[in-house]
Amino acid sequence: MTALWPIAVITFKEGIRNRAVYGISIFALLLLGANLLISGMIMQEVGKVAVDMALSTISFAGLLLVLFIGINLMAKDLDKKTIYMVLSRPISRFQYILGKFLGMTLLILVTLSVLSIFAGLSILMVKMSYPGYFPRFSWSMVALAISFTTLMLILLSALSFLFASFASTSFITLVLTIITYIIGQSISDVKALVEAPQIVGIQVSPLTVKVVQIAYYIFPNLSLFDIKTQAAHGLAVSPSYIFWVASYGFIYTCIAIILAAIIFRRREFP
Amino acid sequence: MIRIEGISKEFKEGIGSRKVKALEHLTLDIHKGEVFGFLGPNGAGKSTAIKILINLISPDTGHASIMGKDVLDKDTRRHVGYLPENPYFYDYLTAEELLWFGGKASGLSSNVIKEKTGELLNKVNLHSARKRQLRTYSKGMVQRAGLALALIHDPEVAILDEPMSGLDPIGRKMVGDIILELKSQGKTVFFSSHILTDIERFCDRVGIIVGGRLRLVDKLNNLLASGNTLEDVFLKEVEKAGGGIEI
Repeated sequence: MTALWPIAVITFKEGIRNRAVYGISIFALLLLGANLLISGMIMQEVGKVAVDMALSTISFAGLLLVLFIGINLMAKDLDKKTIYMVLSRPISRFQYILGKFLGMTLLILVTLSVLSIFAGLSILMVKMSYPGYFPRFSWSMVALAISFTTLMLILLSALSFLFASFASTSFITLVLTIITYIIGQSISDVKALVEAPQIVGIQVSPLTVKVVQIAYYIFPNLSLFDIKTQAAHGLAVSPSYIFWVASYGFIYTCIAIILAAIIFRRREFP
Repeated sequence: MIRIEGISKEFKEGIGSRKVKALEHLTLDIHKGEVFGFLGPNGAGKSTAIKILINLISPDTGHASIMGKDVLDKDTRRHVGYLPENPYFYDYLTAEELLWFGGKASGLSSNVIKEKTGELLNKVNLHSARKRQLRTYSKGMVQRAGLALALIHDPEVAILDEPMSGLDPIGRKMVGDIILELKSQGKTVFFSSHILTDIERFCDRVGIIVGGRLRLVDKLNNLLASGNTLEDVFLKEVEKAGGGIEI
């Protein structure tokens, strides 16, 4: 812990002071502000639109944070050789990865907490303006949806660390993380489609089915963390679903970080 | 104090291409309390040897230890201060925070860090800029911040890779004074440099490396005894190795 904390602190400070964080936050705040205008213009399903828009804004801003700041926090260490100053201390490679990841997790938690307050305010203002459109609204579902988004972003960040542990440039890490995000968001639907193609009247080769099935077990199923629709419609989520998704996210994150540390142990920094 | 035994290292020059020998059977002993100058032309293997000592890269063969401990052991670095060549630090941290990190990561208490930070930043003339983010620093200021970081935990061994690079004459004098101070405290200093006058000013012993092979190690006095300058000795060794000097 003695070594982890200083790494986590400098990682967090380096991240939170990055001007891009302010850019992403301002962009998110504008979208949340627009929530009021858009809800007022639609005048139907206002509650659902307001919640969905607020949650989508947090999710999108969080994704930008992971892709454009999180990746740089680790990859820049390798690109710019900042890692020399860290590894020349009595710090193991595993401590380095874990400390960096803790700092990044802290950055995600703090940024999303701030954005969540503004998202809550935007929903509250719409709710106060149009109380009739919020019959089944639940703050706890909104909080749960934000928590799941946070967990998904932490998992995605762990995967970006895994990619950075072997990628030669930050660009490759970025590309791999984006690909994983896209596959992770859609793999569940694609698997359902290729396993029952007759429903939509298409033909799928057995090889494609096999490839998709393998991908399903390799890539994280990020759509599991997306409960924006349930939150917007005020639908309850079972405690067992919450438990399994949280466990899935936690275990997947741990595996990604442990793999990153194993690969990183063998890496050289010429 | 620092022992390098038969270290060899090869690097691949890209995917599927030939291997380049960076170090060939390097054996070197640096004694406690001495200032050792590691001299060589560009690409001679100086930085590779230094990075092996810091465990940033691993040798293909051979073994290195500092204060009797294998360099693979992270605790060895508790007693080592390292300044990389052309250091680059976190843009948004201040010099104070950089030194806080160095101190904490080396296990120092907050009080000691505070005291040492003030002392070192004064010494490298960065005290007035201590709260400025490092991205606003000039190259020389970054180099001086790096030197302060290398020394925050009062290491027994200072390994400095081109410590004078990017410094103006005042900065070079400052670094020189610090090296001499370390020497007077009985610390061991291992530094590489292209600047022969710096080597002449500070070093007890000199090692000349060309093409990954150590060509000569001797006391500076012995090298200069026959009336040769260090430049003459250096150029002769490079010539003997069949290499040229990049101009």
